[in-house]
Amino acid sequence: MNFDAIIIGGGIHGSATAYYLSKAGMKTLVLEKDYVGRHASGVNAGGVRLLGRDFAEVPLSKEAMSRWQTLDDELEGDTGFRRRSLINIAIDDADMSTIKTRITKLTGLGYDHEIQIDQQELRERLPHAAHNCVGGVVSEQDGYAIPYKATSAFRRAAERFGATFHEGETLANLRQIGDAWQVRTDKASYDTGTLINCSGAWADKTAMMMGDNTPLSYSAPMLMITARMPHFAGPVVGAISRQLSFKQFENGTVLIGGGAKGFADRDNNRTTLDYKKLALAAETTKTFFPIMKTAVINRMWAGLEAYMPDNLPVIGAGVNARNAYHAFGFSAHGFQLGPVVGDVLAQLITTGKTSFDLNPFRIDRFERKVL
Amino acid sequence: MSDIFDIVIIGAGPAGMSAALEAAQQGASVAVLDRKATPGGQIYRDVTQSPLLDPSVLGSEYTEGAELVEAFMEADIDRHQNADVWHIGETGEVLYSQDNQTRRLVARELIISPGAMERPFPIEGWHLPGVMTAGSAQVMLKSDGMVKDGAIFAGTGPLLYLIVAQYLRLGVTVNAVVDTTPAGGVVRAMQYIGGALRKPAYLIKGLMLLNEIHRAGVPIFRHASNLSVLGESKSVGLQFEQDGRTHSVNADHIFLHQGVIPNLNMTRALGIEHHWAEQQLCWTPTLDDWGQSSIPHIAVVGDAAGIQGAEAARHAGRLAALKAMNKLGKLSEASLQQQSSDHLRAMKSFKAFRSFLDAYYAPTPEHRIPAASNTLACRCEEQTMGQLRAGFEQGAKDPNALKALTRCGMGPCQGRQCGHTVSELLAVWQNKPVSDIGYYRLRSPQRLLSVDELSQFQNIKPAKKPAEVSA
Amino acid sequence: MFRSLRKPETQSVSININGQMVQVAEGSSLWAAMALHGETQTRLALVSGQQRSAYCAMGVCFECLVEVNGVPNQQACLTTVEEGMHVCSQDLTEQSIAALHQKESADHE
Ligand SMILES: Cc1cc2nc3c(=O)[nH]c(=O)nc-3n(C[C@H](O)[C@H](O)[C@H](O)COP(=O)(O)OP(=O)(O)OC[C@H]3O[C@@H](n4cnc5c(N)ncnc54)[C@H](O)[C@@H]3O)c2cc1C
Ligand SMILES: Cc1cc2nc3c(=O)[nH]c(=O)nc-3n(C[C@H](O)[C@H](O)[C@H](O)COP(=O)(O)OP(=O)(O)OC[C@H]3O[C@@H](n4cnc5c(N)ncnc54)[C@H](O)[C@@H]3O)c2cc1C
Ligand code: FES
Repeated sequence: MNFDAIIIGGGIHGSATAYYLSKAGMKTLVLEKDYVGRHASGVNAGGVRLLGRDFAEVPLSKEAMSRWQTLDDELEGDTGFRRRSLINIAIDDADMSTIKTRITKLTGLGYDHEIQIDQQELRERLPHAAHNCVGGVVSEQDGYAIPYKATSAFRRAAERFGATFHEGETLANLRQIGDAWQVRTDKASYDTGTLINCSGAWADKTAMMMGDNTPLSYSAPMLMITARMPHFAGPVVGAISRQLSFKQFENGTVLIGGGAKGFADRDNNRTTLDYKKLALAAETTKTFFPIMKTAVINRMWAGLEAYMPDNLPVIGAGVNARNAYHAFGFSAHGFQLGPVVGDVLAQLITTGKTSFDLNPFRIDRFERKVL
Repeated sequence: MSDIFDIVIIGAGPAGMSAALEAAQQGASVAVLDRKATPGGQIYRDVTQSPLLDPSVLGSEYTEGAELVEAFMEADIDRHQNADVWHIGETGEVLYSQDNQTRRLVARELIISPGAMERPFPIEGWHLPGVMTAGSAQVMLKSDGMVKDGAIFAGTGPLLYLIVAQYLRLGVTVNAVVDTTPAGGVVRAMQYIGGALRKPAYLIKGLMLLNEIHRAGVPIFRHASNLSVLGESKSVGLQFEQDGRTHSVNADHIFLHQGVIPNLNMTRALGIEHHWAEQQLCWTPTLDDWGQSSIPHIAVVGDAAGIQGAEAARHAGRLAALKAMNKLGKLSEASLQQQSSDHLRAMKSFKAFRSFLDAYYAPTPEHRIPAASNTLACRCEEQTMGQLRAGFEQGAKDPNALKALTRCGMGPCQGRQCGHTVSELLAVWQNKPVSDIGYYRLRSPQRLLSVDELSQFQNIKPAKKPAEVSA
Repeated sequence: MFRSLRKPETQSVSININGQMVQVAEGSSLWAAMALHGETQTRLALVSGQQRSAYCAMGVCFECLVEVNGVPNQQACLTTVEEGMHVCSQDLTEQSIAALHQKESADHE
């Protein structure tokens, strides 16, 4: 069978890329070895965060953030997005000056989305924060969405524009023939003009088949969620210098993250939890929000995520093959970029250019570095 | 005291207690963890300290358990009661809550025997106050001497008749028995009659129970179908069909039952291999004759390993203990084979008998995978059949995808009350075998765990030396 | 009403159920103690707000969640009563959570 574009991986980036490509009129196929949203894109913390982004990512992240506000309408679906603001709490004066330095830099670059708040304002916005918290920084447009719902909303919108999704089908082999590609899977064989690697924690394998090397590593960030609690926190909560990260959803459940990692076995789609680290996250949450003492944990889990050495993703054209593109390595903050990355790739593919500077995200940026 | 044991056993029912006795006899260091205050499991619950004046009314099958419990209490075993296991690590680490604190044990060999739970009975109104399970009636009777007059007992399976008979012997009134065992059960079961005849005593016991209920004058509605609970905010009665006619019987309390299925969450969270057992219509760990699972140092025995009943559970427990001794290098291969043979033979005849029971009392599809779109499948998150169907139509074809989309299975029961329904529904909708559909991906903790308790985990306590309790 | 067939010589403890002090048999499950005093409502259904009560009495349905000594979401059927225990039915629902949330948002305007 013939396609204009074949995407390897049905996470949020594969699904969104399929949406933008099929909207642009390309006949698109997504190959997903498990089911759409099975991995990071369906099980992440749902954080839609612009606050604290690496400067290189700010332009993309800002664009994504403004799209999130109206994404449900755009996709005619339900992503579960809620604008709630995100506050990173400062524990001491050192944290306050870290915030100040960063905001000065951002202002210099023309950005005004991060705003410092003092202790009194912190108390007003988060009345349940421990009394020793001295202030913080807020980004108003931030919030959360429901990961599986958002990914599946992109998928269904893509299908409405004619994109095809094959679940339970694994890429096995790639050959570039002239400018085109022959794609073989465990089930069938296809021809396509353009190939896109959105393979998440497996993207280095797909990249290798495309001729590009990449120093991707993968890990299993862990999460836990409580049974419903009385409402006590509107904003999403983080911290400047502590592994504190949680959000209370509308339904009252509280999702606790904090970046602790379990053990990843990507060949078997398996992760194992590290309970000691989850215990530490529980301790931190309880220390900064004493109300959480009586919360009960309902479920814990982890997802397989791809990391790059500089914690920035790879986005853009391949370097060793023609009509090859990559978007992976989002290093535990790629969900928020869902509404923008696929569009950037679609622009590159259909017009050869994009208004964003993709240099920091080149796949060959580590080529001459000793890591 | 060291917190490393040759064998750690989870669950002090007939399976776990038998495993512990065998292992202790063979000279292993053994620890047994059970979440209840006293050993016994479901069948022998509180048998040595019954709240009832005359526990013998519960039947000889119950009182006979006292001997096992007493032997268990006297043996050289580390018994930990009120110890609720919430995590088992692949390496043999066992974490459990006791007095709101997490404690830890390490096992060279693990034998898991958390028993069974009743099969979900998703009919209209099953979530209303006043609707409970027949098993709950038994639990309340055995451990608290608490009963409810004027209830309806509805469903199928030998345990349903047992509890009704126990109630009647105690002078508790029963409004009606609504029996959903479909007509033709005998014909279906006939092919296994050979197995049943190997256990004639059991067959006769079953018939005697029915007779007892009949003689007491309790109305029995046979071959009932399409059950639904009546009532808006609480149960006021039960509606059902019989011979093409609709009946309704009033009662403010209804006990439902359609057999038991393995208590899956522990074995699933461990990542042990499971399969769909067509005969018992449930997910079951995949094991060898000694209960050995797909994880080398873990065995699963008793009803958690597939429903076989209490007597079979005793043999299974012994087998797993013998095998564990063999793996620990404390029992030669020849002795293992020799000491196992009687138990293996016994297991075989129980299996044959069970095939007969399973065929006779097979729960009907309408009470497992109901068609009515407003019936709740997921009690915790209140997801109806109709909402699940909508989720499926939006592309969620896997139980985990459906869970992520609809929240079905995300609540505190962690899928215990909807998991089987969801696996079967997705299979029917896609016209695939249930084995291709799979189940929820489960993780520890296996129950709600307070943030306060979890946060203390960094300075986790070793096991407490169990206080000497007398039987 | 549920009734008890417990032999008479049992010791008792006093506990507080929904504000009312009652005597219950030592060693009883909290669910039995509640039910014998007519307090069969455990929690509310979280989405619809309907009343719920214990279903399985053996720890697998989580319908019997109640607040024990200030800590919510405890399984009454697996809890043994203790002298002086304070027990409350739970009334949290998504609607009550949403109301609190709206109130907070309004306070910020
Ligand atoms: C626990 C956790 C919490 C997180 N929290 C946040 C957060 O709060 N905010 C945020 O912005 N980000 C967060 N992230 C990161 C975010 O989830 C990811 O960056 C993002 O989902 C990556 O999307 P993706 O499409 O690149 O990858 P994935 O979702 O992993 O999708 C890749 C897909 O490719 C498929 N695939 C791979 N190889 C093949 C092959 N050979 N053939 C066919 N298919 C293949 C895989 O099966 C997979 O489904 C979190 C991640 C995790 C794990
Ligand atoms: C409600 C109910 C009532 C029953 N009544 C009868 C009856 O009257 N007659 C009959 O023949 N059969 C009865 N059965 C069937 C019964 O399951 C078997 O006959 C028999 O009890 C199985 O023995 P077992 O050792 O496998 O499990 P069980 O007897 O169920 O023992 C399992 C033990 O594991 C413990 N446990 C479970 N999870 C954990 C955990 N996370 N941490 C620590 N401990 C844990 C439990 O407290 C329990 O003591 C009943 C089943 C149920 C569900
Ligand atoms: S009544 Fe089912 S868990 Fe307590």
